[in-house]
Amino acid sequence: MGFVVVSDHGKEEAMNIVVAMKQVPDLKMIRIRDRRPLLEDVPFMMGEIDRSALEAGAELREALKGKLIVLSAGTEPLEDTVKEALAAGADEAILILDEALRDGESALVAQVLAAALARMPDVGIILFGEGSADNYSGQVMARVAEILSWPQVGYAREIRIEGGVAQITRSLEDCEELLEVPLPVAVSVVAEIRQPKTPSVTGILRAGRKPKTLWTLADLNIGLNGGAPVRTISRLAPVSSRLGQVIGSVDELVEIVKAKRGPS
Amino acid sequence: MNIILYSERPDLASELVTAGRAIMDICGGALQALTIDDDEQADFLAARGVSVHRVRSDQPSPADVAQLASAVHQTAVALEADMILLASNRRGRELAGRLAQKLGGGCLTDVGRFEVLDGRPAFSRNALGGAVEDVRCMETGKQVIALTPHSFAAAGVATGPGPVSDLPVRLSPSLVRLKETIRKGADAVDIEKADILVVVGQGIENKEDLTKAAQIARSLGAEVACTKPVATDRKWFSEERIIGLSGKRCKPRLALLLGVSGQVQFTVGIRDAGAIVAVNLDEKANIAYVADYLLVGDLKTLLPELVKRFSA
Amino acid sequence: MDFKLTKEQELIQRTAREFAEKNLLPQVESIIEENRVPDAVIRDLKDLDLFALFMPEAYDGAGADYQSYVLVMEQIARICPAVAVIMSVNAVGLAAVEIFGTEAQKKTYLPPGCRGDGVLSFAFTEPGTGSDPKQITATATRKGDAYILNGTKRFITNASFAGPIIIIARETETGEVSGFIADKFCDGYAISEPWKKMGCQGAPLYDVYLKDLAVPAENRLGAPGKGFRILKVALALGKIGISAIFLGTMLAAYEEALRYAREKTHRGEPITKFQAIQMAIVDMAMKYEAARWMTYRIGYLADHAKDKGDILKDSAMAKIFVTETAVDLARIAVGVHGSYGLMKDYKVSQIWRDVIFGPQVEGVSHLLKVLVAGEILKG
Ligand SMILES: Cc1cc2nc3c(=O)[nH]c(=O)nc-3n(C[C@H](O)[C@H](O)[C@H](O)COP(=O)(O)OP(=O)(O)OC[C@H]3O[C@@H](n4cnc5c(N)ncnc54)[C@H](O)[C@@H]3O)c2cc1C
Ligand SMILES: Cc1cc2nc3c(=O)[nH]c(=O)nc-3n(C[C@H](O)[C@H](O)[C@H](O)COP(=O)(O)OP(=O)(O)OC[C@H]3O[C@@H](n4cnc5c(N)ncnc54)[C@H](O)[C@@H]3O)c2cc1C
Repeated sequence: MGFVVVSDHGKEEAMNIVVAMKQVPDLKMIRIRDRRPLLEDVPFMMGEIDRSALEAGAELREALKGKLIVLSAGTEPLEDTVKEALAAGADEAILILDEALRDGESALVAQVLAAALARMPDVGIILFGEGSADNYSGQVMARVAEILSWPQVGYAREIRIEGGVAQITRSLEDCEELLEVPLPVAVSVVAEIRQPKTPSVTGILRAGRKPKTLWTLADLNIGLNGGAPVRTISRLAPVSSRLGQVIGSVDELVEIVKAKRGPS
Repeated sequence: MNIILYSERPDLASELVTAGRAIMDICGGALQALTIDDDEQADFLAARGVSVHRVRSDQPSPADVAQLASAVHQTAVALEADMILLASNRRGRELAGRLAQKLGGGCLTDVGRFEVLDGRPAFSRNALGGAVEDVRCMETGKQVIALTPHSFAAAGVATGPGPVSDLPVRLSPSLVRLKETIRKGADAVDIEKADILVVVGQGIENKEDLTKAAQIARSLGAEVACTKPVATDRKWFSEERIIGLSGKRCKPRLALLLGVSGQVQFTVGIRDAGAIVAVNLDEKANIAYVADYLLVGDLKTLLPELVKRFSA
Repeated sequence: MDFKLTKEQELIQRTAREFAEKNLLPQVESIIEENRVPDAVIRDLKDLDLFALFMPEAYDGAGADYQSYVLVMEQIARICPAVAVIMSVNAVGLAAVEIFGTEAQKKTYLPPGCRGDGVLSFAFTEPGTGSDPKQITATATRKGDAYILNGTKRFITNASFAGPIIIIARETETGEVSGFIADKFCDGYAISEPWKKMGCQGAPLYDVYLKDLAVPAENRLGAPGKGFRILKVALALGKIGISAIFLGTMLAAYEEALRYAREKTHRGEPITKFQAIQMAIVDMAMKYEAARWMTYRIGYLADHAKDKGDILKDSAMAKIFVTETAVDLARIAVGVHGSYGLMKDYKVSQIWRDVIFGPQVEGVSHLLKVLVAGEILKG
């Protein structure tokens, strides 16, 4: 006989795991010309850390007996990009598609994701990457948690769930914190939490057949009053003043290192 | 501009003092610091000449970011702050988003510097994985700015200390229980402060060669740092030693990069070094565009030679 | 017309590339040295459903299409052609059973083949002939409820793996050529020492000795005398795999040459400064592109053909073009390397030994041209 988690009502409760996925341009494909990034024809992909988050989420499925749902807000190619998450094991997808989400502005995205979460039943935990592969801003998780008045834990390296409580190891620069938090909770994970798995062909082919729900901003009663809180004035590749000199010998290297090292 | 600053780490808070003063130079206003249940830090900051508010919470729970945000928010409201400066370490970044949401304001994390545009500060941060730098302005009355550690010098002790006052806040009970804090190893190294760095990349393929790199570092009086996969995949070092987007931003006088390919996510962490000298097998590795000097060659054969030459 | 991959195809391609780079790359050297692919590789391929890509899900296949199969074979062969050769021959065997087999044969042989529990062989070539099925001398003699098989089959891939083997032999009673499914390592099945191959090491070739090997009558594949038909279809499909494999080696050769050209310096400047090297690079890029679209197209044709035998002319043309062009391209890639290209330390020297296999297998180029000419001129 094993232990079964029971709620106050005495019946077993399934809770869903949500993974927030951001579609990002394939950074390896971005070329710079005249210091400007060329983004046309750069394909979109699921961010690497989000793949780790999904893998971590898949492991929680058993403890929560619920579904693994991928949630994403963005523009049109998202319907295709989300197949990566579905191929890697998510059970279903909820997508919010709108041109206004093109820039992925954190405050707006958080508002949208929180509104979507509010209408999804039985969410036990939502996982985010510690930062998106392109912007690495790391605000969305905390903003969503605030809107929903949920507790939050950032930089999770390990998550275990037992009896409706999450045990989370938060990895900070100089220490790790072992935390206990009730569900529902918003969590961001570090890339090391899990190695993303290579999806199987069957997984990939079934991805397109998994349930997908599409919502618009109007469905979520979100209006776009006022402009974005942050305005981007310029976006340029930094100019390098490095010498970029190829040196021919170890002698030269030793000489340079000794000179640059200065008095010790 | 009414600015308040907060970081749980006194050294980072004192950098925020420098940054805050620079912003005041642009837009005028007042700069105040707050500490949360940390009188020692309050004295430390007051000695740097800022006015400090000691926040006293009724039920402190430092690992609960929701509570931290609530404490800072109540202070910001009480002091009518327009801008909150935080440190962009992990705790600070997590706090930034929640606080900005509470304030209904815009937020930028990982800000490395700022300039003046039309009498307002414009903030620079990396985007597209470090391939470009964005310059951004805030359009909201309230704003949260988290600054990359060590982007600004720490404020020194001032001639006259700033005033210290108490500020009580009321917090709702915490939902996050801190069961244990585990210090990370004995690796108390601070590569951000190092004058000279030897950086190990995946081009160093075995532990034997790693020992040689460490030997070179010792001869040069350098700290050893590494790229991300060397710490997270190979686990040769603690994450403390990672340079880059998800690691540290370092400004050593000299950096010697051994077997580092130089992807943007790495180079954002070493961009501001004085001189960069690299050794790589691949002349076309991206590091060629990042380094001042590149020696093309195989570390397997070069390392023993370098060990000998530098120890001489 | 749309030359874009679907998202699914893109992801399948990425799965194959990740597998090849993470799993195969670290063991390529030992695979070549030992002339053997570890069983674990087959198991890992199966775990990702890469092993029997286009078999229907009903038989434990992945249910993907031939276009995806082509993308996968290209990526695998880019890193290790031997593994792709094993997959290709297995796929030919599976396809033959799927197309010509009875329901009972399919239920018995397809699921284990798809799962990678057994690896299929397809035995046609003999010491006397590889190109001319009319010269087949292996015999099948009806004896009660069984056929008794005798003869020698030459250059048989996968012959040392457990699993079924499809044998093309001549029925002694009628003189007709038929197909038979036997289990390897049953009584009457024996193999030689592996041939010492100059390239594509890892997919060893054996001679197979059939000595009074008894095959139950229900294991005849297709009707009596259907042997040529089976060969035609199997070879039509086999050429898809072979084209994709040598497309993969072309990609590898091109990448190697490009990298070398960028690294190698002459008087302090990379040799890409020289126009001759630039032209070599363009020649390689063009050849690869031409071969690529021809190969992808036969994947498409196979997906849409009702009778897979109908694509024989197109798959033969693709196979001739791709394998011959692969040799041309590898020659250029070696040239870019100078003498280093002849040294075993340089990957391109192995590719050079591999590419030469292309025009010689699954129908030599000469013979395939005869076949294509016949199709074109038949009026
Ligand atoms: C969101 C995100 C955040 C990231 N954050 C960071 C970060 O903070 N820091 C970080 O470092 N990375 C980060 N990365 C990873 C980064 O993209 C690179 O993968 C990583 O920096 C590569 O590390 P490397 O140079 O050690 O290894 P590789 O890229 O494998 O390079 C090894 C180099 O060694 C050379 N070499 C090999 N053998 C020899 C030899 N015998 N002699 C001489 N040279 C040799 C090779 O030519 C090559 O250039 C991040 C990635 C993402 C997506
Ligand atoms: C790596 C590898 C794997 C193989 N795997 C298998 C396998 O699994 N199963 C299997 O059955 N076989 C296999 N083979 C054998 C291969 O298919 C044959 O070797 C190939 O078809 C050529 O046959 P052959 O060597 O007998 O040449 P031949 O038939 O003797 O031909 C020699 C030459 O004669 C000329 N020629 C012959 N007939 C004609 C004609 N009618 N018109 C014009 N010119 C002609 C051609 O120029 C040809 O190049 C494999 C071979 C290799 C190298």
